[in-house]
Amino acid sequence: MISSRSQHLIPASAIFAVSAVVAWLSFTQEPADAFLFPRVISVFFLGLAGWNFTRAALGLARVGDGVPRRVLKNIAPGLSVMLIFVFFLAGGLGFYVGSALAFAAIYTLYDPAPVSDLRAWRKRIVVTVLFMTVIYGLFALLLKVQTPRGFFF
Amino acid sequence: MEFLSYFGGVFEPVALLLLIGGTMGGLILGATPGLSPTMAVALLIPFTFHLSPTQGLILLGAAYTSTVAGGAVTAILLKIPGAPANIATALDGNKMAKQGHGARALHLSFLASGFGGVIGVLILIFLTPILAVWALAFGPSHLFWMAILGVTVIGSLDSKSFVKGLLSGCIGLWLSMIGYDDIQGAQRFIFADALTGGINIIAALIGLFAIPQVLEMIAKGRFAASVEAITVPKQRIMDSFRELTQNIRSLSIGTVVGSIVGLIPGVGGQIAGLVAYDQARKFSPHRDKFGTGHPEGVIAAESANNAMVGPSLVPLLTLSIPGSPTAAVLLGGLLINGIFPGSDLFENHPQVAWTFINSMLVGQILMVIFGIYTAAWAARIARVPTPIMAAAVLVLAVFGSYSVQQSMGDVYVMLALGVGMFFLERFGFSAAPLVLGLILGPIAEANFIQGSMIADAQSGPWQYFLTGTLNLFLVALVVLSVAYSFRSNKARNPATKPSRGVAT
Amino acid sequence: MKKLIATLAISVLASTITWSAAGADENYPERPVSVMVSYGAGGATDFQARIVTMVAGNEEYLGQPIVIINKPGAGGRVGWNWFASNADPDGYTLAAYNVPHFIAQSIKGGVKYSVDSFEPIANWGSDPAVVVVSKDSQFNSMKDLLDHAKANPGKVTMSGAGLFVGHHIAALQIGKASGAKLAYIPTKGGGAAAMKAVIAGDVMAGINNLSDAYRARQSGNVKILGVADLERNTEFLPDVPTLKEQGLDVDNSSVNFRGLMVPKGTPKAIIDKLAASVPEMFANKRVAKQMNAGGSPMKIIGRDEVKKMWAARQASLTELLKGL
Repeated sequence: MISSRSQHLIPASAIFAVSAVVAWLSFTQEPADAFLFPRVISVFFLGLAGWNFTRAALGLARVGDGVPRRVLKNIAPGLSVMLIFVFFLAGGLGFYVGSALAFAAIYTLYDPAPVSDLRAWRKRIVVTVLFMTVIYGLFALLLKVQTPRGFFF
Repeated sequence: MEFLSYFGGVFEPVALLLLIGGTMGGLILGATPGLSPTMAVALLIPFTFHLSPTQGLILLGAAYTSTVAGGAVTAILLKIPGAPANIATALDGNKMAKQGHGARALHLSFLASGFGGVIGVLILIFLTPILAVWALAFGPSHLFWMAILGVTVIGSLDSKSFVKGLLSGCIGLWLSMIGYDDIQGAQRFIFADALTGGINIIAALIGLFAIPQVLEMIAKGRFAASVEAITVPKQRIMDSFRELTQNIRSLSIGTVVGSIVGLIPGVGGQIAGLVAYDQARKFSPHRDKFGTGHPEGVIAAESANNAMVGPSLVPLLTLSIPGSPTAAVLLGGLLINGIFPGSDLFENHPQVAWTFINSMLVGQILMVIFGIYTAAWAARIARVPTPIMAAAVLVLAVFGSYSVQQSMGDVYVMLALGVGMFFLERFGFSAAPLVLGLILGPIAEANFIQGSMIADAQSGPWQYFLTGTLNLFLVALVVLSVAYSFRSNKARNPATKPSRGVAT
Repeated sequence: MKKLIATLAISVLASTITWSAAGADENYPERPVSVMVSYGAGGATDFQARIVTMVAGNEEYLGQPIVIINKPGAGGRVGWNWFASNADPDGYTLAAYNVPHFIAQSIKGGVKYSVDSFEPIANWGSDPAVVVVSKDSQFNSMKDLLDHAKANPGKVTMSGAGLFVGHHIAALQIGKASGAKLAYIPTKGGGAAAMKAVIAGDVMAGINNLSDAYRARQSGNVKILGVADLERNTEFLPDVPTLKEQGLDVDNSSVNFRGLMVPKGTPKAIIDKLAASVPEMFANKRVAKQMNAGGSPMKIIGRDEVKKMWAARQASLTELLKGL
């Protein structure tokens, strides 16, 4: 387990790094007119990020729960499903098929019922189909949204 | 009292049916992530092709009022605001729901919405000629100061740490500048193809609120399904009503702030809720309870975002200038029927104008009734097991963010911001100031640039931005607001800064 | 209940198969067609696009409804960039074009499109730029305004909907023709914001769309000093002289032509089909009635003529923007 102080240092330094890049870009990019406002903001951004970093380094203002290892372990499969869904399935297989798979995957992964339970599987499939039907009705039929159609639809 | 003679038009069978349908549909659309009031109204325009002008406007007006309120349902139950206007509602509303007061929060939010909304429409009816002039008084310099005033709220908004609140706001301001700059057309901070169009505010809103919720749900692991499910016990409506009357202060602050913000063209209703929330807290003797599930927060936010609806139509109906994106869409709805808002409207089409306004009045009341009913259904929504809820919110977030502009790029941005926000929230950052920065950034920048261009041609920037009563008044408000934030920050952390004295 | 679900699932699956199997152009269109508008909902382009496409679902036109998608930002650059680089050339994604906007922007650079990235289908409207001042203004003609501008170089502020859009082109042309130095103030938020600046007195004058200016004049808020077109607009503003009549050498380069286009690479059969049916759709009586009601001048031009018009604009705008 990483100590709380060093854990707080991670976001603080990440934000500080971002603010430094933003400031650097704002002051070097052209045309200068279009970067006038970003320059003003980036100065404040850099200052605040620096202040926050200092406080994190001194171990002050440790608000929030941090990310315990248990939480990371719990969200890892779900987060992977999300990323695969959005970046590959939605475009590759088609929006509706991709969504149905992601829905079923998240539901199955976090459903307390054991994997071997057949009845639970039936419920999972029924709920997924029902939910996707509602989504299809709302977005495709009512709102006429044209979703990316990949291999299926 | 001219408007009273046109009430008949509202209660004609077709009109009433449209009003009821529009209100119910609006509530549902408003509760769907990704469907802001502007989009809901735009989606309904084609339906109005088949209706008479009056009927079409009744439908649009009903949808406008109820989508604004409908966004509160998901804000309270799931902490996912349906539209930017409902962000402030989520702050206390969701905490209330988690403490088992979901139905109470929903009742209060709809009652407050209805109250604010009715007052807002009454302002529209009685004060339009006076206020029209006032709405025009806000030029670029004033709007710039208004936006800065909004920025000063950031630090104290829903944050456990002042620095982190301001820092979240700065991140939001920076994110708002990604993409093509609006005036020069220069490319700024475009690191990825998905960012060329900039960060869409609705997609960002969905990501920043919904995705951390999904991750929080699954962070508890697979065997914790029913441990912390929200319970929504039955709540008697009379009790809620009584509670509302006990909170006159926040109700009136919300209504007044909402009406004022609604009037100013270009600021829009997006920030009405947040500003009212902030003001209600500053004036409340229980200000420490804000953010912990305090009903005053819900009341102020919701009364403000519906009070904004009526006054936001003042510039449209009198001067033909749409003051908000939604008003712009309503303008389209009027034009399609050959009706030009402005003096023409009330002189030559009083039937259309007054029936429309009256229908918004009746619509507010219908909205409260239907809204109260949703509070009863809400109990069922809350009983959905966590894994299904997490999966459903994820899929809805993806569909919602996609359908704003039918763009995959927005979905990527939504997910990236959401995952980032989840980790940041765990370290004491929060989404509300970030979104506020995202909303205010473009308003502040565009008006600053435009103001400086006008100033260059005329008297120079100092004189342009810092003279005139309205400018000075707004600057004074900014200074006061900053001073207040610093003082209350010190009061909260007396150990860190023992020095007193100059409180700028 | 279960049976219902099964039926639904099968029908959904069946429709998938028919959709993915269909590649044939002759059945086009088989599903709703979207039209991307690079300005916000409620703006003049959005509003007109919604009207001219409202009868698309009729059998004699496309037989499928047209859905409007708004991708606003940076004077249209965001939407057209997306259209040039991300839209599938399958005939199901169309876009509204605004000439001279997108041509001027592509000449100025920094965008991913040019006239060669798109194939026009048909033009539905032309909206000339007009010069407006608020109703209390001291100026009653272009001469008043320009004399004041010459006496106070750079002090006359003029609002418009953005940089390198029709309004900006008109302002550049007026400046060039008269020799007066004008301060052009681009607003964020399109023509409506630019009009607000004029009515509220934030700026001394403004350039705006004829349709919006006509409406603002009807409600008694502005005076219209001149039309930047070759001829007067007989339909809406017969009493307003053109800039040419007032001695300024300003042609119709700034007239805002609006129409539909598809990305380059769309199958020829689809383009031909659209080029044949879309002008008829624009000419529909109900469309004409509602466009007229909204004060929007129509001008239906077929694909071949639009191609020529684009080429002509490309040449004249390159010339005009050379010095900037």
